[in-house]
Amino acid sequence: MKIALNWLKRYIDIRETTSELSDILTFSGIEVEGITELKAMPETVITAKIVFAEPLPKSDHLKICKVSIGSYQLQDSSILDDDGLLQIVCGAPNCASGQMAILALPGTDLGEVKIQSAKLRGVVSHGMLCSEKELGISDDHSGIIVLPEDVCPGLSPNSLYELPDTIFELEITPNRGDLLGYIGIARDLSASLDRELRLPIVNSVPSESDQIGIKLKIDNPELCYRYTARVFDGIEVKPSPLWLKVLLTKAGLRPINNIVDITNYVMLCTGHPLHAFDYELLDREHEGDKWPSIIVRTAEQNEKIKALDGKEYSLREIDLVIADGKKASAIAGVMGGELSGISADTKKIVLESAAFNQTAVRKTSYFHKISTDSSYRFERGVSPQVTDEVSELATSLIVELSSPSEVSPVIDCNYWMNKPMVLGIRPCRFEEIIGYKLSDEEIRTYLERLGLKFIQYGTWIEGQIEDISKVHCHHLEEAKAGKKEFTEAPDCIHSHYYKIPYRRLDLTREIDLIEELARLAGYDRVPHKTAISAVMDQHAYITTNKVEDYLVSRGFFETLSFSFTDPAGISKLEIDTTDVLNLINPQSSNQSVMRNTLLPSLLDNAAYNINRGEKHLKLFESAKTYHKAGAGIREIPSICAIVTGNHKEEHWSVKNEPVSFYHIKGIVSQLCELLGINIEQSAVSKDYLINSTGLSYKHNDIELAYFGKLRPDIAERFSIDTLTLKQDLWVIELKMSELIEVSRNRALTYTDLPRYPSVTRNLSFLLPLQHSYADLSKETLACDPELIEELSVFDEYRSKQIPSGYRSVSIHLFLRDKQKTLTEERIEQVVESVVKKLQEKLQIIMR
Amino acid sequence: MQSELKQMLSEAAGAIANCRTANDILNTRAQYLGKKSFLNSLYGRLKELSSEERPAFGALINEARTELETKLSAKEQELKASAWEAKQNTDMDLSLPGLYASRGSLHPIKVIRREIDRIFISMGFEIAEGFEIEDEFHNFDALNTPQDHPSRNLADTFYLENGMLLRTQTSTVQIRVMESHKPPIRIISPGRCYRNDKPDPSHSPVFHQVEALVVDKGISMSDLTDTLQNFATLMFGKGVKTRIRPHFFPFTEPSAEMDISCVVCKGAGCRMCKHSGWLEMGGAGMVDPNVFKAVGIDPEIYSGFAFGLGIDRITLLKYGIPDMRILFENDLRMLKQFRGESL
Repeated sequence: MKIALNWLKRYIDIRETTSELSDILTFSGIEVEGITELKAMPETVITAKIVFAEPLPKSDHLKICKVSIGSYQLQDSSILDDDGLLQIVCGAPNCASGQMAILALPGTDLGEVKIQSAKLRGVVSHGMLCSEKELGISDDHSGIIVLPEDVCPGLSPNSLYELPDTIFELEITPNRGDLLGYIGIARDLSASLDRELRLPIVNSVPSESDQIGIKLKIDNPELCYRYTARVFDGIEVKPSPLWLKVLLTKAGLRPINNIVDITNYVMLCTGHPLHAFDYELLDREHEGDKWPSIIVRTAEQNEKIKALDGKEYSLREIDLVIADGKKASAIAGVMGGELSGISADTKKIVLESAAFNQTAVRKTSYFHKISTDSSYRFERGVSPQVTDEVSELATSLIVELSSPSEVSPVIDCNYWMNKPMVLGIRPCRFEEIIGYKLSDEEIRTYLERLGLKFIQYGTWIEGQIEDISKVHCHHLEEAKAGKKEFTEAPDCIHSHYYKIPYRRLDLTREIDLIEELARLAGYDRVPHKTAISAVMDQHAYITTNKVEDYLVSRGFFETLSFSFTDPAGISKLEIDTTDVLNLINPQSSNQSVMRNTLLPSLLDNAAYNINRGEKHLKLFESAKTYHKAGAGIREIPSICAIVTGNHKEEHWSVKNEPVSFYHIKGIVSQLCELLGINIEQSAVSKDYLINSTGLSYKHNDIELAYFGKLRPDIAERFSIDTLTLKQDLWVIELKMSELIEVSRNRALTYTDLPRYPSVTRNLSFLLPLQHSYADLSKETLACDPELIEELSVFDEYRSKQIPSGYRSVSIHLFLRDKQKTLTEERIEQVVESVVKKLQEKLQIIMR
Repeated sequence: MQSELKQMLSEAAGAIANCRTANDILNTRAQYLGKKSFLNSLYGRLKELSSEERPAFGALINEARTELETKLSAKEQELKASAWEAKQNTDMDLSLPGLYASRGSLHPIKVIRREIDRIFISMGFEIAEGFEIEDEFHNFDALNTPQDHPSRNLADTFYLENGMLLRTQTSTVQIRVMESHKPPIRIISPGRCYRNDKPDPSHSPVFHQVEALVVDKGISMSDLTDTLQNFATLMFGKGVKTRIRPHFFPFTEPSAEMDISCVVCKGAGCRMCKHSGWLEMGGAGMVDPNVFKAVGIDPEIYSGFAFGLGIDRITLLKYGIPDMRILFENDLRMLKQFRGESL
């Protein structure tokens, strides 16, 4: 729903800025979906009278106009002709002599267009006559704006159009039918802002006339609760005054004529849709009837009606219609019939102000696929309480704007039981549900601002109260005296009782009142009950679990050993023991120090299992190591693993092979990749490992992990005879603190999939032994980083057939252009350039 | 013409029957149905016939065409089917074992530790890390342990050369967390603990505990029993009962021992629960006001509960492992049994 700020201000003072108001609306539950600022027109946009307009020769649509700008003082008066008129060339089809229009003078900046004096078909034009689009009040640019004739030329259109203005696009939730009008929004704002609501003053139009009337009947009171009609004679159907047209236009409606515009105006104000029929097109029910009939009834099966949208609808027995004595004249609450619509010749009308069952309107609207401003509002509920008041507001306007000669009395058919609803609310319940306390006074203030009428305090009774006298009023006297404190009996729950305004069809339970209170007091008042203290290092926890799970998935078994160990075990590894912590009261000498490495326990476990016939082992431990650090102590999370024996599980169909350098490298490198860490690799160098049998992994010079073959002499010290076993024993050390820190702020971002295919080319060549795969990879990729996506080795061998000092290498080259499909020619070019570069830099010999 | 057609059909039937490959089919189709086939030429020769004979013979040609098409596609299907049928190895031994991926396992204690983590995380707890090497303040003083309390003895607690000690319970983390964080606090802290016990079926100098600590406004003993019951239900399944019994710990007041109904005999009484129907789970209680004072939290504003559970004991219980020492032997034959627990 669109509402214009200037119009809203008729009902309530708004002092807030646009963005403040937008926040207030949104946080009181009325979501602002869009804001359009209508700017004031610059001074060079003025009203102007078209003195004459005639077709431009040799043009099928352009007109040459002379316009008067009244007493407006031009900066450059030389553009006026001898009669003091401006010449304008205009292409609008509706442009005609005698019209009052809006003119943008040369020099006007309208944002999208800048107006300058120009020649069109050789004729000078000093400006542009504006459509509604140029003024920004609608998108309509099918013709120029034609102002009423009584407007003077040479004035700014800003006051006529109430510019500047702000249009709010609001989303009203389906439970709040009462908000589907300006007054509803203003009423809710008055409650949130605690500001006075100014309701429109309605001058009622009393009538005793028996000259005109209508025979009114409701056949289905369960579908139409109330119908208020009024008949007018001698009205004049004509265009609405400008103010009314502007209001409708800004709300997104097209002005049609004064009668239809008045019904729309009242709908926009009150949220209550109205309808007007041409009285003379309504039939009498019986020959002798004094008046034509209006009968609210369900349709006959397949009863036809041609609606105002020009389409014919075939109705069902559950569709409600407004019929005259003979036929359906409107689909109730949804759309009027074309036949009884208001036309320029209409002299007599019936004004309908009714309340229909919302479900029935929804079903009809949904089934026939007609959604109108009227059905939209009836579906959300329109109160039957006020059909007469709304009718009165429209009546006063009809009297004012179309001067009827005769007005009928109010004809009202009312099946609505005007039973005021009374609801209770327990302040303690509010606190239970919302989480903080509101005082009695605050509760009363907020609810009364919404138009609820406080009746009394009392003890709690659930549900809608039929008879308020049944509520036991504790300390009624104090309550009446306005004292806040009550001394209550322990078993009675202090409650408030309110009369619910008729328009709030959504307030039927205590919880609805609690919601209103929470909304008005502001959801920002809801306290946070617990704040997480953020003790946990989520990343460290998850990373450790990930690494452990990864190792398990690669076939490793987790072991768990004591934290204290044999100092001799550490010495066997020939590593530094100066950071080792001694226990004062160890249980035995082989448990007398805190371990500074997990490796001895793992080697002991390996020996234990090898002795029991398990020769193929992949074991790890994830635990802390303990180190003296100056005067302090460091506990360092570590993971250490050992591998020996075969690579795969034993199976009859697979040739097994011992674990190799590349297996271990694959395990560690893939782990780093999964953790999202970029690494540099170098040959490992640790005293207890055979030199250069493994790798050290670093990131920015911080060592994260290393692996290598354990020296057989050291293995033997742990009773593992690798030589007899004919197995290597590999050690992997993962420095968890460093791995956790380096991977800490890693964020995975999805990469768009390539749109063009890749091509693969194979190259086989002899590579001098002094050049590594890393060299080969670097040089190849550097050839054309845009096109060479990847390379991979698919064969490497050395043999006597190959010249000494060389090895044979075969690679796949993956090429891809991100912008287009690669041509054969381009592929050849790239491959050639790679070969050439490798020949130059690495002295390869192509095979 | 009619007899020529008949002859062609019988010849074609023979050719189709002799097809051995997809290529044969292709050639045969071209030969008998293609543009230059005899059949196709018959259409051109229709005009040789009288207008009365023409429709009947036209129909005959079409019939012949349909017949050939049907035979060809039937033969084609037959060849395709026999092609893949021939490849099937029908004398395969289906009972030989499948190829397994190489896969290890987490240690059973880690399996249980992770499960405990998961349960408490689902209840809104965080996991706090603590030090294993502690000072006397955090292990004893701040936990309200009197100076002459026997647990401080060398016979009970491991001491290090620099005056530090190996924590005897995870309760030290209570102090560490409350020192560095303001309430509300809702943590568990699993980890290693140390006591100078000789290894036997139910004791080990190195063991694992999980500490729980909740500090907030309005925390009562009922929150403790509630958390304990929820944990026990999630850990051991519906139907497990919990209870607390009065006990003494220096750092909680009131203090309690926590029991769960025996998960082996469902409370009927068995060897595991020493015929009592109940299993001891650990110590618990409301955080002692003195502990709050030691870490600068006002006990008039905040209250809290804490408890400690033995992870190893739960592991033994859950898997029916008879001796705690088995857990630290790391025998591959034991570890292999837990492959399915760490999927």
